Amino acid sequence: MAEKLVPVVCPWCSVGCRFYIVNVNGYPKKIEFDYEHDTRNHGKLCPKGVAAFQYLRHPDRLKRPLKRVGERGEGKFVEISWEEAIKEIAQKLKEIKEKYGPEALAFLGSERCSIEENYVLQKLARALGTNNIEYVCRMCQSTAVAGKGMVLGHPGLTNPFEDILKAKVIVLWGYNPAATNPVFFGQYIEKAILDNGAKLIVVDPRKTKTAKYADIHIQPYPGTDLAVALAMLNVIITEELYDKDFVAERTEGFEELAKTVEKYTPEWAEKVSGVPAELIRKAAITFATAGTAALLTNEGVNQHANGTRTVMAITEMMVLCGYFGKEGVMSGAIPGAHNGMGAGLMGIGPHELPGRFPLHAEEHKRRIEEAWGFKIPEKPGITYVEMIDAILEGKLKALYVMGTNPAKALPNLKKAEEAFKNIEFLVVQDIFLTETAKYADIVLPAAAWFEKDGTAISFERRVQRSFKAADAPGEAKPDWEILVMLAKELGFGEYFNYSDADDILREINRIIPPLAGATPERLKKNLKGCMIPCPDENTEVPRLFVQGFLTPNGKAQLIPVEYKEPGEVPDEEYPFWLTNYRLVGHFHTGTMSHRSKSLSKRWPEEYIEINENDAKRLGIKDGDLVRVETRRAALVFKAKVTPHIREGVVAAPWHWDFNYLTKDVLDEYAKMPELKTAACRISKVEG
Amino acid sequence: MSKKIFIDFKRCIACKACEVACEMEHGEARIRVFEFPDLTSVAFNCRHCEKAPCMEVCPVNALSKDDDGAVVLDPLKCIGCLMCGLACPFGIPKIDEYNKIMDKCDLCAHRRAEGKLPACVSACPTEALKYGDINDVLWAREGKIVAELKDIGDRTNVLEAYLIR
Repeated sequence: MAEKLVPVVCPWCSVGCRFYIVNVNGYPKKIEFDYEHDTRNHGKLCPKGVAAFQYLRHPDRLKRPLKRVGERGEGKFVEISWEEAIKEIAQKLKEIKEKYGPEALAFLGSERCSIEENYVLQKLARALGTNNIEYVCRMCQSTAVAGKGMVLGHPGLTNPFEDILKAKVIVLWGYNPAATNPVFFGQYIEKAILDNGAKLIVVDPRKTKTAKYADIHIQPYPGTDLAVALAMLNVIITEELYDKDFVAERTEGFEELAKTVEKYTPEWAEKVSGVPAELIRKAAITFATAGTAALLTNEGVNQHANGTRTVMAITEMMVLCGYFGKEGVMSGAIPGAHNGMGAGLMGIGPHELPGRFPLHAEEHKRRIEEAWGFKIPEKPGITYVEMIDAILEGKLKALYVMGTNPAKALPNLKKAEEAFKNIEFLVVQDIFLTETAKYADIVLPAAAWFEKDGTAISFERRVQRSFKAADAPGEAKPDWEILVMLAKELGFGEYFNYSDADDILREINRIIPPLAGATPERLKKNLKGCMIPCPDENTEVPRLFVQGFLTPNGKAQLIPVEYKEPGEVPDEEYPFWLTNYRLVGHFHTGTMSHRSKSLSKRWPEEYIEINENDAKRLGIKDGDLVRVETRRAALVFKAKVTPHIREGVVAAPWHWDFNYLTKDVLDEYAKMPELKTAACRISKVEG
Repeated sequence: MSKKIFIDFKRCIACKACEVACEMEHGEARIRVFEFPDLTSVAFNCRHCEKAPCMEVCPVNALSKDDDGAVVLDPLKCIGCLMCGLACPFGIPKIDEYNKIMDKCDLCAHRRAEGKLPACVSACPTEALKYGDINDVLWAREGKIVAELKDIGDRTNVLEAYLIR
């Protein structure tokens, strides 16, 4: 029994916690807490972190390549050899490319895989001649990236975690870190509130575990947050609570913004959002007069068809008050997964080059082409949700999916399933036979996060190395290795000459300037990693925007924002607002968490929260079965009658079948689908 | 002096990391999180009482105190008579129906032997669970409140801050 403690980065959310896997001759026995190193989690973990060893040896793990023998979606496969699988994939991709052109191919990367693997995937797509390369950021942070990008020039978290300890006011908007980032909440936010006396403002239609600590709790109808934000801007400007020096020196466009929000009074916002005008006023004054404040937003703001506008308005509140470039302030985007920020930086986007430069940034493009030795295609690719339409229209013929599960994560799932049934060729590379994999022609078994070396970037902009702590089951291989095999079979061997993750990271160091200093040697020596941008081995940037913003002229852009409704609002026929949320014990589509014994036991099934007064009116009691119907589908849930959700709103966790109910209408800037608001009707299931 | 797990329940967010950590170490969770309709939540485990009724009633002396003051069960002596479960005011000792003996928290004796914290305390992301000499923990809390008394000087605020919240 050779027991080894191997240091790893947690594979669930994006806080960047570290711990050890107890490795017994290649078998992951359990986790052990890391109290030895200087880590961001101070040794602490959430239930998912503690259970992180359980899914690795689940009997469902994919162990050999599979070829479909049944109908698509049926899940009938036979095992084939790696050689056969790779040969068949390469041949099909070549055929489709020859017949329809490279734009008929598309690739999906993953925030669940390392930066090295995502880098290799986008490089392979471009070698094949397409920019149809996407990952779930489109359905997670794309609105935050677009909105914060326009206002500030960069979406990243502005300050290191500990800076929030000095905030006088903390605003958590559409964000429930007590459930989604418990360690960040417990080690930083809760300490700021309970130990240092920070005031907490929470904006959420539900009274969450986070809202339990709130001094002010604002409960808008889902997706009407924009009205609340515009009214807060209105109060901050009309009552002259903004930082006049900061606005004069470091911003542009104030006059026009002031003119635009003039009509958006708190009284107007009350009509739209259902939030009392006085409460909006109180929140705006508390926030603007704080001196130092943190304002963190998440999916409750992002995942709407008006998401980019909401992000812009909320970010402009921060700008007006000058809450940048010092201790005690914080704002930024909080990706769902442990490498959400890293994958994006690799250029896993249809309009982006590695380093997240726009596709038309000629200088960078030339530099990368020279380093690679081949041309990057000109034409921008198709965005994630629009790929479904492209498949149904017959424009997209082949889809290569790495470590992501669109057949459960996309909105309006019935339509998505139709697309997966009708695509010409689908490859899924994953650790389990996901809902998406059931439609695949070829399924490839991948090594899980702990079964390989890899690098991830947390939402703190912190680059960290995670090490191989267990052997992969059967013939499963690391994602990058599979991609290199495929590249060689496609005849691109010369461009993909990597023998381990370090080789790939060294190329990333050369290609992506903000990661130049995040070398394998540095990350192995220093488990705490470094905060990007790190232009060389001795530097990192703990605080953004200290001197200037990253906009072209260095000034924050106060772009005027007009109100727009979310993607669907209730009417006579469908009178309830429907929204969703995440549970502390599950993760996204549940591929891993539903297969973790300690988690699925404690969070076994979906249910729908309904306000006690609404329930009484409809004759629904706690535990009754209710039928929830939108214009797209109907699902049956167990009812959970509670005072902790506002009247007129119903909400369910989304780790099960929720997305059959959602609508695939898109945000105009970021192409984010409306995942968080739908109009529904409810009836008790009799019998 | 005796070491215990102090539960600061206003910090608890019912994430159940303690339960999962305990389950990982012992196969079954010996700590449980209770949630109330007003969103209060309390993680609760054996209190390792100073005058432990379970020890007093055990007919076969299967329960004893170790060097840290933890009440531990000797599975080789236990006959599964359930007396400890009846005597415990909290109903903590449970029957392990497979092995026909009782099962209870031992403050992670095997982890303490290696100089580690109990698993539930190691995990707890909000520090609602604190482990240590109970007097040190209580002194620290007392000291914090007294320091604030000195700072605020206005008793009504203290009452508001600590009693009403």
